[in-house]
Amino acid sequence: MDPPHARFHLEHRPLGKALVNGAPVVALTIVAVVVLGTIGLALFGVRRVKMDPQQYIVGGRSFGTVFLWVLLAGEIYTSFTFLGMAGWAYGLGAPAYYIFAYGTCAFVIGYFLLPAIWRIGKERLLLTGADFFQDRYGSRALGVMVAVVQFVMIVPYVTLQLSGLQLLLRIAGYGAFDATIAVCVAFILVALFVFTAGLRGTAWASIVKDALVLGAVAFAGIAIPIQFFGSPAKMIDQVLRVHPHALTLVAGTAEHGTVWYVSTVLLTAIGFYMGPHGMSAVYSARSENALRRNAMLLPLYQIVMLLVFFAGLAALLIVPGLKGAAVDQSFLLVVQRYYPPWVMGFVAAAGSLAALVPASAQLLGAASVFSKNVLGTFGIATGDAARMLATRVLVLVVALLALGFWLEEQKTIVELLLIYYNGITQFMPGIAAVFLWPRANVWGVAAGIAVGFILAIAFAAANVTLWGVNVGFAALLGNVIVMVVVSLLTPVRKAPAAII
Amino acid sequence: MVSLRIWLAAIPIAALSIAIPLVNRIEPRVLGLPFVLFWIVAWILLTPAFIWSIGRLERRW
Repeated sequence: MDPPHARFHLEHRPLGKALVNGAPVVALTIVAVVVLGTIGLALFGVRRVKMDPQQYIVGGRSFGTVFLWVLLAGEIYTSFTFLGMAGWAYGLGAPAYYIFAYGTCAFVIGYFLLPAIWRIGKERLLLTGADFFQDRYGSRALGVMVAVVQFVMIVPYVTLQLSGLQLLLRIAGYGAFDATIAVCVAFILVALFVFTAGLRGTAWASIVKDALVLGAVAFAGIAIPIQFFGSPAKMIDQVLRVHPHALTLVAGTAEHGTVWYVSTVLLTAIGFYMGPHGMSAVYSARSENALRRNAMLLPLYQIVMLLVFFAGLAALLIVPGLKGAAVDQSFLLVVQRYYPPWVMGFVAAAGSLAALVPASAQLLGAASVFSKNVLGTFGIATGDAARMLATRVLVLVVALLALGFWLEEQKTIVELLLIYYNGITQFMPGIAAVFLWPRANVWGVAAGIAVGFILAIAFAAANVTLWGVNVGFAALLGNVIVMVVVSLLTPVRKAPAAII
Repeated sequence: MVSLRIWLAAIPIAALSIAIPLVNRIEPRVLGLPFVLFWIVAWILLTPAFIWSIGRLERRW
């Protein structure tokens, strides 16, 4: 169907199947060249770096503003951004606004929180988030608990990236082939890349990824609306004519209403840095001020999300009718149907990097936390060389686990992200208490995490709706209450090593 | 008394979270954006200025 006011007449371009001659080859070749080229560049970037655990896991704590920027921003530009945000704009409209808001709120919190975490990490030579708990609460068991939870939670997050990757490759292949094998190959490649290059390699790859994603998003969010509707503003007029309620939130406690919006923004802003890869990124900073400067500048990056949102809206008008998990394809279908294969190739390449590069940081974070805090605590692989080897092997193990989970259970991108956030945010009370409430002790923190985690899973499994409040937020409240009560009922903790 | 720094941090967070139900409407459109979306984008652009001011108050830069 031709959208009204289209400047671009849709019949002029052959649709889907007609393009199959040669199109998938062009598009997929571009994807392969870009992905391999990025891996090659990153390996070149780290060729003279001598690897020890400090270098491999936290980049030798030497990253300045640029590397830090791309690592912290890696959390924003994953395939969730690229496909999930557009998919939400397409499928739900206004609820997608939460994605602009939570990152920005997280950076304000980060201005205060990250330098404090960094200082303790540097002083006490910490490598992982679990180290932080172990050191501050003086309990190895707590370190093991945090490590295991982080390790388990990272699997759905990596799986999310795989779902995104499959979608991209299938669309870039114009439906001519089943992308499952290609996803497995790409992913094993990335695991091997992390095996070799560590965090510094990931930072190099992130630079290429961000440049390409920026280009792809500018194309999808500006060029598509201009070509089809004249301007983004005219596109919004059109959206409002067809879907008058799409661009405001439903009031009150309805599903994805204002109550949901507020609780989700707060929950995800709090959980932003709590993943294993987030803590390693913080520790990789050269100085406290590098973190503060990043917290100040990162909100500007969020503006790019507006373009992704536009791309989703454009797709809603141009290729209407997608339902369920199919909404994640939104603007990719527009590109596939109305643009030449090389454009498709570059967009899919940017998207593939947006899936693979964050996945590599996540694999590394999960592997580090497991080798350091679980194996290390039980006296396995404690020397530098042995720990390096263990971490590298674990990178491959997590990769295979995620791959297995993905092949078993293919959920939509948003569902997977919410599972991750609901779980990972449960670490925040214990971290905040280190700075704000010295009375908190190991029993309180452990009980809080356990209760929060169990509540998050139980709410999700039982499909409860609590007056529109995000269930992870409700679990977080339970966590805080349990932490406070249990801490007050148990002996005062021994003060941890002082930090100047 | 809550310090100025904390206010400077709380304002953008509040504007992007609890204030949204108050600005949740289409009109007036600004730069073609529905008002609520314009509000969010405006606060994303303002937040660096708030963080910069906190840094100045703390003499970080």
